[in-house]
Amino acid sequence: MNLKVWCAALICGVSVSAICAADLPFDKIVNAASLPQEWLTYWGDYHATRYRDLNQIDDANVDRLRLQWIFQTGVPGAFETVPLVLDGIMYFTANNSSAYAIDARSGRELWRFQYTIPKDARPCCGTLNRGLAMIGSRLFMATPDAHLVAIDSRNGRLLWDSEIIPANGIYGASMAPLAFKDKVVVGVAGGEKGNRGLIDAYDAATGKRAWRFWTIPAKGEPGNETWGGDSWKHGGAPTWMTGTYDPELNTVYWGVGNPGPDLYGDVRPGDNLYSDSVVALDGDTGKLKWHFQFTPHDVYDWDAAETPMLLDLPWNGKPRKLLVQANRNAFFYVLDRVTGEFLMAKPFARQTWAKDIDSKGRPVKNPGVEPSAEGTRVCPQSAGAANWMAPSYSPATGLFYFNVREGCDVYYSSPPVYEEGKGFWGSIFRGETGERQWGRVTALDPLTAKTKWTYKLYQAPWAGTLATSGNLLFAGDEDGYLMAFNAKTGELLWKINTGNRLATSPITFELDGKQYIAMPSGSVLLAFALPDEVVAGKKK
Amino acid sequence: MRIIILVALLVPPLAAAQTASDSLTKGRALFRSNCAFCHGATATGGRGPNLLGQLSHGDRDEDIQGVIRHGIPGTGMPRFRFAPDELRSLVDYIQSLRKGKPAPPPPAGDKAAGAKIYATHGCSGCHEIGNEGSVFGPSLTRVGAARSYDYLKQSVLDPSADIPDDFQGVTVVTADGHRYTGVRINEDTFTLQLRTADQQFHSFDKTRLKQLVVDKTSLMPPYRFGDDDLKNLLAYLSSLRGPVNANTDTRHATEVR
Repeated sequence: MNLKVWCAALICGVSVSAICAADLPFDKIVNAASLPQEWLTYWGDYHATRYRDLNQIDDANVDRLRLQWIFQTGVPGAFETVPLVLDGIMYFTANNSSAYAIDARSGRELWRFQYTIPKDARPCCGTLNRGLAMIGSRLFMATPDAHLVAIDSRNGRLLWDSEIIPANGIYGASMAPLAFKDKVVVGVAGGEKGNRGLIDAYDAATGKRAWRFWTIPAKGEPGNETWGGDSWKHGGAPTWMTGTYDPELNTVYWGVGNPGPDLYGDVRPGDNLYSDSVVALDGDTGKLKWHFQFTPHDVYDWDAAETPMLLDLPWNGKPRKLLVQANRNAFFYVLDRVTGEFLMAKPFARQTWAKDIDSKGRPVKNPGVEPSAEGTRVCPQSAGAANWMAPSYSPATGLFYFNVREGCDVYYSSPPVYEEGKGFWGSIFRGETGERQWGRVTALDPLTAKTKWTYKLYQAPWAGTLATSGNLLFAGDEDGYLMAFNAKTGELLWKINTGNRLATSPITFELDGKQYIAMPSGSVLLAFALPDEVVAGKKK
Repeated sequence: MRIIILVALLVPPLAAAQTASDSLTKGRALFRSNCAFCHGATATGGRGPNLLGQLSHGDRDEDIQGVIRHGIPGTGMPRFRFAPDELRSLVDYIQSLRKGKPAPPPPAGDKAAGAKIYATHGCSGCHEIGNEGSVFGPSLTRVGAARSYDYLKQSVLDPSADIPDDFQGVTVVTADGHRYTGVRINEDTFTLQLRTADQQFHSFDKTRLKQLVVDKTSLMPPYRFGDDDLKNLLAYLSSLRGPVNANTDTRHATEVR
């Protein structure tokens, strides 16, 4: 009996739940919204709404949530993964390039994969990893030494290993890749090491590079004139977070990081394109369709790596394809994602750097906000009023949910010297002694940027959110609380101290008629669900 | 050939001169952004000691480098991870500030008399020296090494001028009307852990409190002393440079704000 037949026989068996590694066609990811029981991409879908139409757990019963199982990775270090869920199997990564498939019902391990970083490799930026992409029967993982690897989802075997670019102490990769059609797209980290950012696409079957987009144009290319002298060669503009994808437009949207040196801008006169921008690229060719720069000539380290969320909403009464982003610079932006046209920007947190955003979307800076040798206090802080933590959008409430960081920094500046493999900061930032930073879970109307509700957090958070049709908004905080709020009102309905700071976002899925909430914390993955009697009561 | 040798002999001093000035500029920038918030912009002291006087851990370049690289246990001085050339520039700059500056005179008072004032004013009711005293307030075991003279003076006369984050006072009123004031040991969005002056821990559910106030003033009252008594007390406090507990380690600079 070959494996396929055996597997089919197993599925037919009534007493056994099927956990045969499955196939994930492109169409299925395109229709992710109609498959709320699965979690198919880093964001749950291509648009990054992080909303699931699952309501077994709702605002009336969420306080009955109960721990179902704990998966111990045993791997120390940051656990910032977002698991994928398909056909009862959960796929995720942990720190130091390990990947796992586990039974989502029981938390039992099915296989484990370990990528070995060659001894002579010099990763730029540590060993954290934020998750996998999947298409067909393949999983894709980026590695600390800037490789992209394909793993067989059936047994965790390495299928191919492609070097994105030699790490050389200035490159690395930690984000979950983005897979669509026959391609896998990936970006790089290392902007603080004076590298040059890029976005690559690889053939999902072979690992052969399909296209490359440099986020800093070379000499002679349009945009290079926005970098004085040779500054473009070490200008950073990394691409360290997963982008989004519009299948109808076949367009990839990717947030680009800050220019380097971070805090000393005099050596790179100009706007420094495409740093701190979102770029819209053709999915087949990687050709630039449009770009929008949030913070021209940034001197605060305000990467635009925050989620470029894709929403289809009426703008001034007319249906429009929008791209929204709560940017690190403390402004919430709405763009037309077909043309890149700027539509709106409004502040959502305390900020002192911009007087206004003009009608083209360009900030008008306040006087006296440049980093200096003596230090200049500016809000938001360098880590931003928002960062890579995932926001959510609920079509049921029409609200955009995200974790806000409230804080300011004193920004110091001095001329740096570029040395390969070394930090290229141009000085340092530091919180004011005695001034605490704090956070907010916030719901705002994406069409007006008006805040509908806000819930104050003791510390500035590094965790994201999840919205469901159970009128719930889940969010994590820096002290380790996983919390559930009434999505309409912001009332806190449930919380649990998971025992470690949360630095990724919760997911939800449904299996055997039971809805789960899963959350990584510390080095463990936790899964919650309602007690059987509550589930049974709800079904009646 | 001779010309070449001549050039070779001439060039190094010129280059060295330029490098020295660059190095000082670099050192100044590093000092401003990494050291000034404790030691003051001109190194005359702040929360941390004055660097222009006698240095407890030696005043040779390698002594200062060692302190920067390893920190000083039991004080606020953390470990810094500078590149070798940065460290050199920083130490050069600190030495340039020290050069020609007269060391401030040692505290004028009588430390034995100061110890008596410490005892008679009940300071040990809140502070610990070695293993003696209360853990309610900051330990003073090594306060002479950790703080500048002026900072100690300010702490006695006006403790609210700078409240260390680890000793923030918080007052809560519970639902049944009980009032507690203590040092914030830990806090998150939902809970608060206080230590009251009797050295007991208390745990609170913040959502059930009637009131929670982060005190604007220090839990330590300001003290008024005559000139001599103040000098004697400060001489005593400045002399406290007790041994470091074996478990005490320095923190890394990034953890310090």
